[in-house]
Order: sequence, then structure tokens, then C-alpha cells
Amino acid sequence: MSSTFVDSAADFDVRDYLRMDMMPHFLCPGCGHGIALRALLWAMHELGIAKDQLAVVSGIGCAGRLSAYIDANTFHVTHGRPLAYATGLALARPDLHVVVITGDGDCLAIGGNHLIHACRRNLKLTCLMLNNEIYGMTGGQVSPTTSETMLTSTTPLGNSEPSFDACALAAAAGAGFVGREVTRHVPRLKELIKAGLAHPGFAFVEVLSDCTEIFGRKNDLGSSPEMMLRQKSDIRPSAYRDSVDTPFRANELPTGILAQTNRPEYGAAYRRAAAAQRASAAAQAGSANAKEDS
Amino acid sequence: MSGPSASSSSLEAKPLRPAASAAKAREPLNVLIVGVGGQGVIMVSKALAWLAQSKGYEVKQSEVHGMAKRGGTVFSHVRFGPQVWSPTIPKGEADILVALEWAEGLRWLPYLKPGSGIFICDTKRIVPPFACLNRQPGARLRYSRETPAEVKAHVAEGYAIDATQMAAELGNERAANVVLIGALSTALDFPAEDWEKALSSFVPKKTIQVNLDAFRLGRSWIADARRGATAAEQAPLAPMPERSDAPYSVRLEITPQWCKSCDICVKLCPERCLRLNAERVAELAQPEKCTGCRLCELLCPDFAIRVHLDRPVVDATAAQGARL
Repeated sequence: MSSTFVDSAADFDVRDYLRMDMMPHFLCPGCGHGIALRALLWAMHELGIAKDQLAVVSGIGCAGRLSAYIDANTFHVTHGRPLAYATGLALARPDLHVVVITGDGDCLAIGGNHLIHACRRNLKLTCLMLNNEIYGMTGGQVSPTTSETMLTSTTPLGNSEPSFDACALAAAAGAGFVGREVTRHVPRLKELIKAGLAHPGFAFVEVLSDCTEIFGRKNDLGSSPEMMLRQKSDIRPSAYRDSVDTPFRANELPTGILAQTNRPEYGAAYRRAAAAQRASAAAQAGSANAKEDS
Repeated sequence: MSGPSASSSSLEAKPLRPAASAAKAREPLNVLIVGVGGQGVIMVSKALAWLAQSKGYEVKQSEVHGMAKRGGTVFSHVRFGPQVWSPTIPKGEADILVALEWAEGLRWLPYLKPGSGIFICDTKRIVPPFACLNRQPGARLRYSRETPAEVKAHVAEGYAIDATQMAAELGNERAANVVLIGALSTALDFPAEDWEKALSSFVPKKTIQVNLDAFRLGRSWIADARRGATAAEQAPLAPMPERSDAPYSVRLEITPQWCKSCDICVKLCPERCLRLNAERVAELAQPEKCTGCRLCELLCPDFAIRVHLDRPVVDATAAQGARL
């Protein structure tokens, strides 16, 4: 029996994919977004995607700033519209791997409309939604994914709005690939993003990230490592959950690949229709020429 | 039994009470079956208990299988005879010890009756998690090093069978426990047909044939061993995966300007070998404890840690040569 254990992280140095003059990044201590960024770059490294072949589009917010640190083609665009910009980019340049990095507020509130239509269209691009349950950059307002009873600067009595299950939303809207993972399991997150990048249609990946400085502090969720340990209980069997440590997320959020379908991809269908239109136009022009000649 | 007469050596040779020898005949036969979760220990003991009960014996069986799903130890006491009081076998009272895993067999040896106990053991080796507790790179697994020949010298009658291999050759590795039932059946008086009937009712329908073959193979193997045709103590130990002994060193490259003192690496390091220094920057406090697991590198949100291993690729095939 021959088996070789290969340390896949050994030849991946995240610094090869960062704009070193921008580092260190602006994120708060313990922010999970940095880990999500590493997972994205690791997945890209393992798939052998060259930096020139990657286009990252991001919106506004803490998550939106991540594109500035990636040494690739990056676009930092208007609030909530990274999917709209990415749709145009992916249609014009089908050879590129287009990745959208967006936050929960950016994706579900300001850009909620763009999300459902991007899911419906099923255009080949990867949407990485970093869900930290809060608008961190603007002062900690309630977001569509804030768990119930949680304190934010706009819900001083505790949030009483039910939160969105973003993955269920994306799957219902028709996304070809839907997955979710926590930042604590970096290799698993990397594998999920890899699967999303390899998927031929619209891939929606939700990353459960921690906002330690604003959300964690306001809700007394403990230090950065404590918040990270709470994530661990999210994936434990519910029987152990109460006895070990308590997750702060209100919903029972499953992780892993949650939906995968082989719906037709929009870009290919559009290009086929365009080619057919060009062909028929050319045929008409040809027959018109033939008539003139006769 | 204390008393003035007990001190006399001439009296000690005689039975203490007239009824003692009669009681001896009424003592149950004790069969202890041990193994690792998932191997089929409970199935073996159920088949034996069912068979003994069908022969009119009083049977008591008790088992512990709580940690079975975690690859933990599973044991089952089966006692049968004209009358059985306690459901468990006292230390040193087992007439037959059937072990489905090598180290489990050794662990339970003290329960075997000294002088007359029969030891039937699979040489299959399942390395338990605690044998890997030393996570230092290149650390040896702490698995038992005794060879079958050494163990055989310590028991009255011992058989080390590579039952897993035998079952695999029959086409189903999971029938290894039935090979051992075949071996066990030679030590008991029940006829082979009754064993086969009992087995057929305990195994899944689709696997009845392979299990009956495994049973007959186990029986014939013991018969061969008794004749001396098979050298029981020469049975090779089943191979065991082992980590390479060549040490490799780990080096942590920490970029202090990027560290934001979030403490994640310090608190989540499984070896607890990192700390925040006076400037609240992560540093490797105990380099000798670091195993190079990369958790700190992967979880650092600020990309401040990079783990360098001298030998990042461990080739398990090279380690295969260095078996016990």
C-alpha cells in the first residue's frame, strides 16, 4: 500500500498573491475576513489560476476592501453592485475567473436585488459573501443577517427582525452552486471555494466570519479566539452543543455544499444566441447579395 | 478459609469442603471476547450466547460498547453452565480469551486463567488515538511491541491468527470475526453444524456463504496448528502503518509589523507553544513543542505567520519498510 501524505499548504505562500505595499491590511484584530481571503487565494493557488486570469470585484464595506489587497485584476465598485459589474465583466471576458467579494449588508440589503437576479441568470461567476452579521465599517448597524436578540448600534433593545438565510435565498433564486463554511475550518473553506470556482454556473459561497471588535464586543461574545471557538460548536452535533460552548448565531446553519444543479449557464446561452443571430444576419446578407447579383 | 487446619500443608492438598469438587463441576465456562468498535465483538458473543442457550445452559452475557463508534475498546463477557451467578468474569478466570485486535488481546491477558486458558488472537493491528498522543514530528507510535512468539510463551495455549487477511482472501475482510469464531469453536464441545446454524441467523443474508467459509477456514486453521502443520507462533503480525523516524525541524516566520495581537494563534495552538511578547506580538515561546501543524498560519487573519518545514512531504511508503 503506497500512500503519500502531501502537505498542500507547504508550497502556498499567501504573500505571493498579496499587494505587499498595501499590507498590513486595515481589518481589525481577529477579523475573520483575512482568513476568508487566505482561503480564496489558497483555492486559486491549488486550481493553478494565474493572477492575470482572476478578476475580483467587490462592493463597499469591510469585505469590499479585500479586493485592494489581492495582486490580481481588482475592481472596487459601488455599494451593493459588485454582482452587476461582475455580470458585465464575465459576459465580456468569459476567459476570466470572476470572483465577487461582498459582505452581508452589501449583498443582501443594498444589493439584494442584484443577488437574486444573478442567481436566476446563473452566469458563471463566484460570489463570496462574508457574513459577519453587521455593518462593521459604518459603525455597527443591524444587517439582514444579524441574529435575533443581538445588540447593534441601531437595535439597542436587541434585534427583533428575523434574519436571512442567505444560502436558502440563493438556492431558491436558482443559484447553480450554494455552499457555506465557517472561517475556523480553513482547509474546508478552501475546498468549498475551489468547488465553487470549478462550478460552471453561478456559485454562491457564504463564509461565516467574525466581527470581533464591533459585533463581538457589543454582544459580549469574548475575545477573538473565544469567538472562533464558538464557531466550532456551530458544526457540532446538537446533543453536545449546550454542554460544550454556545454558538452565538441564532439559526441552525448547515455547512458544506448545500445545493448544486446543472442548470444551463447564462453566458454560454447568450453567446450561442448571439452567434446564431450573427449567422442568420450573414446568411440574409449573403442571399441579398445573391439577389442583387442575379 | 481461615482456621487452625488451614496452616497444615497436608490438609491443603485435600478439598476444603466435600462439596467443593462438586461445585467446581457446576462452575460456568468463561469466554471473554474483546476487540475494537466495529469489528464484530458483540456479534461473536451473541452467536455464542445464543448457541449455549439453545443447548440448555444458563447463559449470562455482559458487554461494554459505549465508545465503539470512536474506535474504542469493546469487550463482552459470556458465561454459561448449569448455573451462572455473576454476569462478569473475574480476573484470571477466563477459560478462553478471543481477541479481534492484537493490542486488545494483550491488554486483557490478565483475565485469562493461568495454566489452562486458551488465547485466540487476531494479529490485526488498529492503532488507537492515544498511541499518537506524541504529535512531535517523527515520534514513534506507542503500540505494543510484543511478538506472537513472546506472548505464546506466557499462555497455556495460544494462537495468533491473521484472521483479517484470511477473511480478505475469502472476499470480505469483515468476516474476520467469524474466522475467530471458527477457531473458538474448536475449543468448545458444540457440533459444527449447530455453530453454522447459529451464524446463519446472525449475519446478513447476503454474506452467509462467505461467513460459513470463514468459519470453516478458522476451524481448519486451528486443526492444522494443533497438528503442527501451521506454525502458530510464526504467524506474521499484520502490517501497521508507521510514521517515519527521520526528524524534521519546524521554523516559524513571524512578521511582527503585521501582527495585531488578536491572540488567535496563541489560544488555538494545540500545543500551546506560542505567546504574545511584551510588545503584544506573537512569538514562538516553546519551539521544541511545535509540530508544524500550520493551524496558526491558516488562522492568522493578518498573514503574519508562515510555517516552514524542512521536509514538507512525508512519504509513507518509505516508512513501510521499517515495520516492527
